[in-house]
Amino acid sequence: MGGNGALTLPLPWFLGDSPFTFVVDPLSRWFLAITGLVGLTAAVFSPGYLVHLRRRVAPGFYWAALSLLMASMALVVLAANALTFLVAWELMALSSFALVASDHERHAVRQAALTYLGATRVGTGFLMGGFLWAHQLTGSWTFSAWWIWGPAALGPAVLIFIGLATKAGCWPFHLWLPIAHPAAPAPVSAVMSGVMIKTAIYTMTRLLVLGHLSAPALGPLVLSLGAISAFWGVLFALLQHDLKRLLAYHSVENIGLIMMGLGLSMVAQRLHLPLLSQISLAAALFHTLNHALFKSLLFLGAGAVDARTHVRDVEHLGGLIHRMPWTGACFIVGSAAICALPPLNGFASEWLLYRGLLGLATSAPFMGTRLAGLLLLGWLALVGALALACFAKAFGVVFLGRPRSRAAEQAREATRGMVGAQLLLALACASLGLAAPAVLRFLSQIAGTEQGAPAALAQVWTLPLPLLLLALAITMAVLRAWISVLSHSRPARRYITWECGFGDLGPRTQYTATSFAQPIARMFGALYRYTLNITVGGRDRRHFPESVSVASMYEPYLETRLYAPLLRLFQQAAGTFVMRLQAGSIHQYLLYMALALVFLLWLGYR
Amino acid sequence: MTAFLLAAIHAINLTVVPLLLVGVLRKLKARMQNRLGAPLLQPFYDTAKLLRKGETISQSASWVFIWAPRLCLAIAVLLALLVPWSGAPVLGAHASDFILILYLLALGKFAALLAAMDTGSAFGGLGASREATLSVLVEPTLAIGLGALALSARSTELAVIAASPAVPAVALLVGAALIVAALAELSRMPVDDPTTHLELTMVHEALILENSGRNLALTELAVALRTCIFLGLAVQTLLHAWPRYPELSFSMRYGLGMIGLFGAGAAVAVAEGFLVKLNWRRVPNFIAFGMVLSLLAALVAAARG
Repeated sequence: MGGNGALTLPLPWFLGDSPFTFVVDPLSRWFLAITGLVGLTAAVFSPGYLVHLRRRVAPGFYWAALSLLMASMALVVLAANALTFLVAWELMALSSFALVASDHERHAVRQAALTYLGATRVGTGFLMGGFLWAHQLTGSWTFSAWWIWGPAALGPAVLIFIGLATKAGCWPFHLWLPIAHPAAPAPVSAVMSGVMIKTAIYTMTRLLVLGHLSAPALGPLVLSLGAISAFWGVLFALLQHDLKRLLAYHSVENIGLIMMGLGLSMVAQRLHLPLLSQISLAAALFHTLNHALFKSLLFLGAGAVDARTHVRDVEHLGGLIHRMPWTGACFIVGSAAICALPPLNGFASEWLLYRGLLGLATSAPFMGTRLAGLLLLGWLALVGALALACFAKAFGVVFLGRPRSRAAEQAREATRGMVGAQLLLALACASLGLAAPAVLRFLSQIAGTEQGAPAALAQVWTLPLPLLLLALAITMAVLRAWISVLSHSRPARRYITWECGFGDLGPRTQYTATSFAQPIARMFGALYRYTLNITVGGRDRRHFPESVSVASMYEPYLETRLYAPLLRLFQQAAGTFVMRLQAGSIHQYLLYMALALVFLLWLGYR
Repeated sequence: MTAFLLAAIHAINLTVVPLLLVGVLRKLKARMQNRLGAPLLQPFYDTAKLLRKGETISQSASWVFIWAPRLCLAIAVLLALLVPWSGAPVLGAHASDFILILYLLALGKFAALLAAMDTGSAFGGLGASREATLSVLVEPTLAIGLGALALSARSTELAVIAASPAVPAVALLVGAALIVAALAELSRMPVDDPTTHLELTMVHEALILENSGRNLALTELAVALRTCIFLGLAVQTLLHAWPRYPELSFSMRYGLGMIGLFGAGAAVAVAEGFLVKLNWRRVPNFIAFGMVLSLLAALVAAARG
């Protein structure tokens, strides 16, 4: 045992000149709790879900990789030095890669897994660069010994930030996330979206916010990338038809919100506003927990729908609330929580974020910063309204209305384990919103460690949410009683939906997800090319069309105009260069080895 | 001021004012079109009639459809007690936090959107989609505008904002922005035509097309309350441009607030007599006016610090 409650493994367990060291403090406890909670529900959900994948995924392999992933995530948040951290980080990347690839007989899954692997390599590359640089400056691998200030800190801090942002799925490094997360089995998507990407948030908090690797320019950078990420994620989520992909884009949004909190905290530290810094850090950490809960809830819900209908395209679902009532009820709770509707947990953390932005607007010394605070407030409201539209679409099209396919018509409720896992998470979402003061008291241990005055944080929360909920519940109960008295004389009649007198029009005439999103999609058309192809066929097609088909497509400019050319360039360069290097001549290879040996000897001799 | 008086005023605010405002609006509109119009109290008769009638529920509807109007009305009642829209003091200052208010409104909207999609009617989906689009446009305007007010008053609680003097320029700009936002949020002209007969052009009426009887009565009551809250809040903000307004006695403030509220209702009716409904694609341009007003208010508020 070392100082400060650190656990150092004895001598054979060394990495070069540094031991395996672990430390437990309130911050790591917070993330361990998140890991445990989501891991538990994923484990409860998995047996029922694996039946659906029986022939394609080997259960032994699945459970081994999932356990390894959970263990490595726990190690990541416990690691006290950079080398221990990197070992755990890589274990996490590889085990999650194996899980993404577990359904590898499908081509799309293989593609997704490879994309994911590439993204983790890039991220780890940047992270290693940053760690090496910080080691060079301080001569230590221990996180708590990294005291670097001023301009010198910018290089390592930015490299580490890029590495972590890639893992977290922050704009513009988010491209892999909506590809990889939907490809994994649903409980794994829940763990990846709920917890794994949060390990990057943990590291950012540890090193860049609470640590002493402070570069002045980083706060505004994190804040603005977070803001873009939040908007970008929710906007593209609105365009998706695949339920899991839609949820994955919402992870980009929520990571953006969390990073806005972290960035704001760094900005406030720089402006010497300790309480504001605590509020925004608490908002970020609270939202991390909340997002873990409601996002895994939604992913499990999507998994239950997938397992029972084998359909993921929302345009072929509908009416599931009648056939899967429990899953539907849980999904509605998750949707309301992710839209930050009171009194659920998402509201509590977003309220803190709003509070932080208003604090910036009221107490910042410069007019520009104050104005930025107000504008970000509006930005957050925009993101919130888009999320509301997106989940009204997702829930409305999947669970409400009439079934749009036979599969949706014949769906059954999920198994008890699957429902139980969702109920547990829904309950957590509901109770954490009401228990916000207690959560803030715990968070003040983390946020208040460095900056003093921890008691003030708990007093920021002034909303009497339980009281309001009670008032709403009583009003609704009174209304219900009144209605039931009124309906004694004239009971409600069940009849078909109004069809303008044409007779039963069939479920195909319902509003689709594409049409629901179309007005909003058109509004932000500057970011992508949105096209709606309508083809009308038949002999006398003007008046009596025989076939009408509509297809919507969008081409995101970030992908097609920036990343695709970059990747092409890289492939071409690598192709020609690697071809020269690996010409197949044994003499050439021997020369490389000799040169490498000489280089290493020179390094050692220097 | 006694607690009894306050309770009486809130009771009047909840029961008489909303439907009366709707009646005044309709009557004035009819007179402008050279019609006699329905009696002033017609909304009360309509509500009573709807409550007594039976209702028809779609076969594909679930509990969402049945519970959504109750939730919407409960939220509207709660907001009517928490938002200082009439000039009367509110119940519970801490709960009048404007972010909470905005998200409670969003909760009601979420329920309304889901209820519209629950029946599987294409009209419901259409109305829901348009309502969601409108809220995407309106929410930032509301948040920035109210944020600017909060910045000048140094508090996020609307009760505190209402009791403290405002910067006149900020109050005027935000008040105007709130009027624009209210027209969109309440589905009035030029954003939506509440009296049109063609469902394809509607927003709000398409949203509640499947509601009937008691269900419809609850929905209409909630809409009437929301009309009061939005217009009243805009009027109160405009009144705050007069620096001495917060110092006035309570009854003066309430009287002025009511005159302002019915005046705003009359202005909406007159505007609806002259304006036509905008093409749906041009609605964002209209709401952008409100956005610009909010941004100007933010600029002034940030400059003053």
